[in-house]
Amino acid sequence: MDLFFQVFVNSLVIGSLYGAIAMSFALAYRTTRFFNLAHGSMAAIGGYTFFWMRDSLGADFIISLPVGILVAGVAGFLIDRFIYAPQRQRKASSTVLLVVSLGVVTVIEAVLSMVFGPQFRPLVTAEHISSFQIGPVFITQVQVWIIAVNLLIFVGLIALLYKSKFGRMIRAIADDCDVARTLGIRTDYYIGIVFFIAAALAGFVGILNGLDTGLQPTMGFYLLLKGIVASIIGGVGSIPGALLGGFLLAVVENAGVFTIGSEWRDAIAFVLLLVFLAFRPQGILGKGKE
Amino acid sequence: MDYLINLSILFSIYGILAISLNLLIGYTGLVSLAQAAFYGIGAYAAALLMTKAHMGFFPAMLCGMGLSACAALVIGMVLSKFRGDYYMIASAGCTMIVYNVLMSWREVTNGAIGIFGVPRPAIGDFVFTSNLAFLGLAAAFLVLVMLAAHLIASSSFGRVLKTIREDEDVARIFGYRPLHYKMLIFVISAMMASMAGSLFAVYLMFIDPSTFKLVENVFLLAIIILGGLADNRGALLGTLILIGLPELLRFTGFPTEIAAQMQKVIYGLLLIVLMFLRPQGILGKFRI
Amino acid sequence: MKQFPVIFVAALAVLTFPAFAADKPVVKIGVTAPLTGDNAHLGDGLKNGMSMAKEDLRADTKYDYQLVFEDDGMEAKRTAATTGKLINVDKVDAIMSISSGTGGVVSPIAESSKVIHFGLASAQSVADGDYNFIHWTPPSEEVRTLVSTLEKKGIKTIALLGLNQQGFMAIRDEILKQIEGKNIKVTSDQIINPGEKDFRTAIAKAKADNPDLYVVTFFSPEIEIVTKQMREAGIKDNITSIEAFGLSSEPALFNGMWYVDAAIAESDFNEKFTAKYSKAPTFGTPNSYDVFNMLVNAYEAAGTDSNVKPSHEDVVKKLHEIKDYDGVLGSLTVDEKGVVLSPAAVIVMKDGKPVSENAPEAVEPAAAQ
Repeated sequence: MDLFFQVFVNSLVIGSLYGAIAMSFALAYRTTRFFNLAHGSMAAIGGYTFFWMRDSLGADFIISLPVGILVAGVAGFLIDRFIYAPQRQRKASSTVLLVVSLGVVTVIEAVLSMVFGPQFRPLVTAEHISSFQIGPVFITQVQVWIIAVNLLIFVGLIALLYKSKFGRMIRAIADDCDVARTLGIRTDYYIGIVFFIAAALAGFVGILNGLDTGLQPTMGFYLLLKGIVASIIGGVGSIPGALLGGFLLAVVENAGVFTIGSEWRDAIAFVLLLVFLAFRPQGILGKGKE
Repeated sequence: MDYLINLSILFSIYGILAISLNLLIGYTGLVSLAQAAFYGIGAYAAALLMTKAHMGFFPAMLCGMGLSACAALVIGMVLSKFRGDYYMIASAGCTMIVYNVLMSWREVTNGAIGIFGVPRPAIGDFVFTSNLAFLGLAAAFLVLVMLAAHLIASSSFGRVLKTIREDEDVARIFGYRPLHYKMLIFVISAMMASMAGSLFAVYLMFIDPSTFKLVENVFLLAIIILGGLADNRGALLGTLILIGLPELLRFTGFPTEIAAQMQKVIYGLLLIVLMFLRPQGILGKFRI
Repeated sequence: MKQFPVIFVAALAVLTFPAFAADKPVVKIGVTAPLTGDNAHLGDGLKNGMSMAKEDLRADTKYDYQLVFEDDGMEAKRTAATTGKLINVDKVDAIMSISSGTGGVVSPIAESSKVIHFGLASAQSVADGDYNFIHWTPPSEEVRTLVSTLEKKGIKTIALLGLNQQGFMAIRDEILKQIEGKNIKVTSDQIINPGEKDFRTAIAKAKADNPDLYVVTFFSPEIEIVTKQMREAGIKDNITSIEAFGLSSEPALFNGMWYVDAAIAESDFNEKFTAKYSKAPTFGTPNSYDVFNMLVNAYEAAGTDSNVKPSHEDVVKKLHEIKDYDGVLGSLTVDEKGVVLSPAAVIVMKDGKPVSENAPEAVEPAAAQ
């Protein structure tokens, strides 16, 4: 029984990481309708900025954290402004945008490797290992943070989308970009902001993931793949769906690791994806056909 | 000289892969990322049947193609429900699953350790030991695949595929059933990739899962997007450029630490810039 | 007149170094290794190890030894091309490769071209054939040391956590084989794929059986991550490994733990290397140093005429005769299969430094520091 609680908490932590990256991905997806594979790289950019501020400049946590988030957000904004936006103006298909974003990931990962080295870097050193026990369950401070930030992102995004003027604007753009433009909404401006927010959130997730395990230039892509799976099984573009999908994916993965074996983890995740695509392509919370 | 022969063999194998993927992406508009999976199935089928069951290369290759065809039927059924980006994500999932199976089904595939001592093919008493002889074999298969692709593209079958690519409903109005055509081309393409995999296994005489990752499929995608969609010569041109590029960089004076990353930057920029300037690729006739 | 200085220098060289005057036959040693990409640090270590061995070489050798390096990025399809280039363009006499995957590609090509090949690999098939050699402590040796240490320490139950990678899987298979019939039980056997960073559920599952000892086999950085996550899960010091702790970039994490390693390089070598290249030797660096010297010794012993290189067959024969050779990795012997046997040792991590358990005198300098 103790074991059950431990595995459940482990799933909760990993599910929060998946969910957080999936929610930020979903925010951008629901507005622009394409799979931005470079989204995961924003996590790596945030993580590396944080790492560089902290270790090379000796900056305080309180300063490095917002700077890391901000830099990731700006990177997301600029990539949209100079690469995706011109493609959108040319009415490029979502497949073209996906291929372009694949190019962007490749470039970002290579540049990060050139600057910081391709190796994995831990953000926590041996002296700082600590965890505390709640009943039979071991958990670390960073893991508590991950769960908390995930819920915070959820509440924040829901409030932003459904309780603000900005939210109404981007929901209008999501419904029909052309109609929104003819109604006088500055669509590219709003989409730019959406990319900024989505990338900044990804950057936050990247920093937390870095503090939990460590950083590698390729970390974002792997995280995003799981985020996309979470997003699709929850209902693509839906924020509550992404949250739910993250948890479901993590629970199924961990149950698989526990019963079948940890080497099957990725296969389990992608079989789950295919099962959903085959039998419920709109996801748990999706509404009817795309 | 033998160095060039080695590169030509590699070119032939990747040429087959590029042409097979072009049939899907270029002619039918199905942007598949599952090709690396069939490449892997073909390689492992040949390696296993030849080392464990002591089968000859040609029957082993045919078995691999049969196995790939069966897998393609199942995967194709699942994928046939999707279009565009969903198709890409779902097919990428298939590659991830097959790679995971190759890594983790150790009883059969020998896992990460790989399979040693795969023999070279033989016809009667003649064994393709020398690389020159093997190049002849690989090139013969490449020509065969090119001919097949050419036949498909110029036949009425190919015209229906192109109609499906442009508009599935139009194809339906003319009385064709898109699902059947899409399944058929998916199976043919998978069998070609499987053939390339078998050749790769006997060329290296050793095989491990590392070649069959998702990244390999992205590399193939870059090849045909660069060379040109819906054009077989374009697929070969793309293969020539992207197989040749790292070899050329070998003879330039870049510091080695930077060279590999520079290569990735070039791949990435190529994809971005091509999508702006020439989304159909150098020789291509179709834009995705 | 312009050529005068050149002629002058040449003449001077001829006069002062008569040994250099006659053109010595050239023996070329090729290395195919990842000089770029994610494993570039490994290739870099091999390159420096070999180069250092060449610089340390005495001057009065019968032959001139040259090195050629090629980058394969540790990708099978590129290894086939680099091996072809080394053999056919550079006409090398011997090739060295790293990792079982690379060795698996090089080995059949070397055999059919009759070129000597040294693989730094744990998969024993790399040594198949007459021209292939392995310079890496075989998993069977390391596991024998591990199992006898377990018996000595009275450990009854172990949990295995290992990376799904060639070398570590060979070690895992060997552990399962060697504990058969012994009073040691494997309570759980977790295999984790490369790239995975979340080990917590696997750890929780292993911990549930409460084994005496956890045997974790990963490369860096996974070895640090898995150890940290084990500590976080409340597992203290009953963790051991084969090779992995010695590969860590954070050795202090393992202070006080013992593990089994292939013979570790003499500290002189490590210090000299670190001083010269201002970075520590990596995985395989000392092996590359030894491989170079073993090849030189075999060539010098096989060659009867300093104007003609001995044939590869003769060199192979001499390589097989190497016994108790004093390399930087200790006393080395080549067995009949072509595997260089180097002793495995129980190592204890003390103050972030690996110290041989059987050599208490080695502890003092570390303690004095």
